[in-house]
Amino acid sequence: MIKIVTSSSIPVGSTVALVSLCNRLNADGYECRLFGPDHWHLDKCKSGTLAEFRPEKGDVIIVHDIGLHSASDLQDVTATIEANRSNRWQDILRRMVRGCFAGVKKPDDFTIVLTCQGDGCSARQTNLSLFHKVHCLSDAQKIPRRGKLPVFVCPNLADDLKTSASKPAKVAGVVGTIWRENQLELSIKQAFEDGMETVIIYGHLADPIYYYNDVRPVAEQYPGKVKFAGFVDDKQKLYDFVSDVYCSSAKPWSTVRVESALTGTRFHGPDSSGAEPMSNERILGVWVEALGLQQRAGRP
Amino acid sequence: MKTFEGDFHKLLDLLKRREPFAFNRFSDGELFILQNKELILDAQQVKVGEKVTKGLYKQEDFKHFDPRAHSFHRDRLVDAFRFRAKNYFKGLSCRCCVGDESFRWQLEFHGSDDENLTWANLLVNGNYPRFIHEMYPLFNGYKTVVVCNDKADLSMFPFLVKDFRVGYNAMVNDYGLIERMKQWIVENRVEGHLFLFSASAFSKLAIHQLYEHCGRNTFIDIGTTLNPFMKMRLDRSYLKAFWLGTRNADIHKICIW
Repeated sequence: MIKIVTSSSIPVGSTVALVSLCNRLNADGYECRLFGPDHWHLDKCKSGTLAEFRPEKGDVIIVHDIGLHSASDLQDVTATIEANRSNRWQDILRRMVRGCFAGVKKPDDFTIVLTCQGDGCSARQTNLSLFHKVHCLSDAQKIPRRGKLPVFVCPNLADDLKTSASKPAKVAGVVGTIWRENQLELSIKQAFEDGMETVIIYGHLADPIYYYNDVRPVAEQYPGKVKFAGFVDDKQKLYDFVSDVYCSSAKPWSTVRVESALTGTRFHGPDSSGAEPMSNERILGVWVEALGLQQRAGRP
Repeated sequence: MKTFEGDFHKLLDLLKRREPFAFNRFSDGELFILQNKELILDAQQVKVGEKVTKGLYKQEDFKHFDPRAHSFHRDRLVDAFRFRAKNYFKGLSCRCCVGDESFRWQLEFHGSDDENLTWANLLVNGNYPRFIHEMYPLFNGYKTVVVCNDKADLSMFPFLVKDFRVGYNAMVNDYGLIERMKQWIVENRVEGHLFLFSASAFSKLAIHQLYEHCGRNTFIDIGTTLNPFMKMRLDRSYLKAFWLGTRNADIHKICIW
């Protein structure tokens, strides 16, 4: 079985991507489950809690954002995540010592693959030599010793979206996780400078203090024109509600640009991709090959 | 066995499934009214029964319950508290917040414990991040009606289809609004809507009577949870902890039954 295990399953871009991957693999006949510590993912795909996660012989395990020093850290993944998050000096010291003496032996019984979502920061806190493969979303991700690793590159799957039947006029969506690095306040200002009449904020409120101190005051400069939707599961509905999408941070791995194109929504943001967009078929093909799965008939 | 997180997810799942329900909250203020104690909340004083302390409330939170003058409204609160129906959930003040004695008093006054009794604090304290992250976004899937103070600004809500406003001491002064809301529901054949209440003790009476009148809608007493989006003050400690990052244990508090 393919098991995806992540240190966080709140509705941010990485979790959404892992849910899509899990669903797509299952739809194509590859048995897959996603395990995470939070509640959100449980009704989105074949899934389980971290307590239910066990590596078993023959498994392919895709790891996201969990600092591993040895394969045995996967045996009690909840404890591993808690130890990694602890700020007690004893735990920090223990992590440093374990990091220095980490083994290089890959597990024999199962395959482990690291997926680097976002900027790849988590890869710097894990023992990369444990992994049989490392997945990157784009060539722009900064992974240590990347040239020496068995890296495969493909973007995240995009949802099956259609061009909206009818679009509102001058309604902007500011789409993405609500935290400082996404600079929502700039997107809101830009949208109104471009003549938008309404701005709707879509995204998981990961940093409420940033929202309250930085985004809210900007929103209040445009009384009655900024609305807060939070994270909306149904992307088709999201794009149906807006004419334009604004992003202010350059993220080559973001799927927002692709989704905007699929739905006929104007995208305003840094052109950071550089790479040719890949179809979902091709993306799945890359995963199937990288995971050593048996190719289903009719696949590229 | 009831758990603070488990009961939150029970309501969350009902919302996801679009199964109508009502969540009514009886906090300490309502507890005092149920106990038929005089209650005054204003800028000068807080009076509960014979006990008077310094006032700290702002205008929109002013309240006066006089047992002699307001017995009709207290009786309606008792009705709301004792009403039983499928998916009519009542939040009580928990023993960790009001003490064992008051907690037991509520159970005895109610008649018995049952599975529809839950925490008045179900959407706040340690569940507040879940409320904002998981429940608030579901409101987008509903035609949503908000019942709130006349000072609140609702323009941040993309899901709003209608609002009803209340003022000072709404349980008494705005009681007639419940009938007007019933009429609006009938005249407009309102079904499958979500009603959010942030109207102090008025909410309790209205939620009971409206759910009994038309149980094909969902009614939630959201209290002060959405104040940051309504340009209302963050004067509750759980709000300050979540939105301003002030140190306070309430935001991590898992209430016990």
